[in-house]
Amino acid sequence: MTAIAPSRRRPDLRRGLAATLLLAPGVALLALVLVWPFLVMLGMSLRERFPGPIVFSLAKYAEFLADDYLLTVALRSFSLALAVTALCAVLGYPVAWYLARARSRWAHLVFLGTIFPLLVSIVVRTMGWTILLGSEGLVNAALLRLGLVSEPLRLMQGFWSVVLGMVHVLLPFMVLSIAAVLGRIDAAYAEAASTLGATPLRGFLSVTLPLSVQGIAAGSVIVFCLTIGAFITPLWLGRGHVTVMAIAIHEQMVTLVDWPGGAASAMVLSFATLALLAGYGLLLRRWARR
Amino acid sequence: MTARRLLGAYVAVVMLFLALPIAVVIPSAFGEGNALAFPPQGFSLKWFAAILERPALLAAAANSAAIAAVATGVSLVVGTLSAFALRRYAFPGRGALMALFMAPLVFPAIVLAAAIAMVLAPMGLVRNFWGLVLAHIVVVLPYVVRTVSATLAEVDRAWEEAALTLGASPWRGFTSVTLPLLRPGLVAGATFSLIISFDEFTISLFLVGSGMMTLPIEMYNYAEYSLDPVLAAVSTLLILLTTAAVLAVERTVGLGKQFS
Repeated sequence: MTAIAPSRRRPDLRRGLAATLLLAPGVALLALVLVWPFLVMLGMSLRERFPGPIVFSLAKYAEFLADDYLLTVALRSFSLALAVTALCAVLGYPVAWYLARARSRWAHLVFLGTIFPLLVSIVVRTMGWTILLGSEGLVNAALLRLGLVSEPLRLMQGFWSVVLGMVHVLLPFMVLSIAAVLGRIDAAYAEAASTLGATPLRGFLSVTLPLSVQGIAAGSVIVFCLTIGAFITPLWLGRGHVTVMAIAIHEQMVTLVDWPGGAASAMVLSFATLALLAGYGLLLRRWARR
Repeated sequence: MTARRLLGAYVAVVMLFLALPIAVVIPSAFGEGNALAFPPQGFSLKWFAAILERPALLAAAANSAAIAAVATGVSLVVGTLSAFALRRYAFPGRGALMALFMAPLVFPAIVLAAAIAMVLAPMGLVRNFWGLVLAHIVVVLPYVVRTVSATLAEVDRAWEEAALTLGASPWRGFTSVTLPLLRPGLVAGATFSLIISFDEFTISLFLVGSGMMTLPIEMYNYAEYSLDPVLAAVSTLLILLTTAAVLAVERTVGLGKQFS
């Protein structure tokens, strides 16, 4: 701390100035394109009409809570996020284990394979799913040929096709979060458990799994937030049959031109996300104290 | 030993699940028929040639490339300065600031998109190149800050201290010692930023319009009226480009290290 101070006279002041200067462009950008827009949106949600007088009113929030359609949509977003998060955790844990522990020569390839879907355009991925699951797609062709079904199944436009598409693209966040924590856990703990006579399964369940909970929590928070706010994947893979919060917000603003109503829905979604992140922050602080 | 095999087999299945929806697009681009089909009938390259006859797709691709390049350039400079300040200086509110820089990563994209459009519209920055650049900078900034600060954590401060002890100014110490050591993080951050910006959909949706389209949205509009192999051909090119970029980064600096 003191060794790096460049000047003996008032180093704290100079360091403070340096940090401020370094941060200024980034903070200015975020203020202009993140914080300010958020506040404008918050202001919009407190209006009754737009264009119209600026008033302070919670009318649009009351409308949201009284609207059965919007509440169903919110519940659907919530269940979607829950399903995607749970599937990512179950599916991703062994992959994370493989990356962090197996010391396989394939680990590099598996790492690249895991992050690849994240880097491929949504348009490309959707086309792939259509070729696989569409009414004339590969899966239906195989089922028809095997005589398991007599007419194509509608695999594309349902809740579960959206779940599949979301898991496909969000799995890397879960795998990397868990792998980061697994990599830090000393393998000696598991060895100690087995020396003391625990079966590998018991050693895993009572030693390694509890130690890796932080990784699962970190991954779950990211995956949950990204799913609950997802727009384009539900839109494309649901083919208009799976309306989630983001799609409803877009409808309210663009189709119905009800900006205050859309802004209120947007704020509900934002506060849900922020509450989740804040809760996770508290959890992290408790873990740090332990 | 069998447990290890079982794990290997399981991971192979997950990899198949991740790769399949992307891989099936490639053969579909080489068919002769007019419909998107798998397996494709015949073999031809005509759909790749057909891309050149779609000026709207070409213009949108040029826009996306330019936006990605400028947004990446700016976010590399801004992100590196910010990451350095966040890692090397202690000040009150540092944790909150770090969270603010990461916020665009997890914040609902549709909310951010509509909110940015509300602010940029009165400034005349909707359907405008610079409006899209501004929005994209905020989207890619977390990736740059994250990869650079992960690399900074690895860089031994003793190098920087040595430069200062030898009489270098802090700025000179940064440019001639820290910056070269940061190269892996910068390369990884730039690659991610370019790819994420090029593929960005939701944030751009509220900011594009006639005369200023991005490639993903132009492809989306195109698919609305015909899902033909031209889109598969464009997608194939995108997959190849992404693969090449990822492999190049992997070979020069190693991607895995940039994530810890």
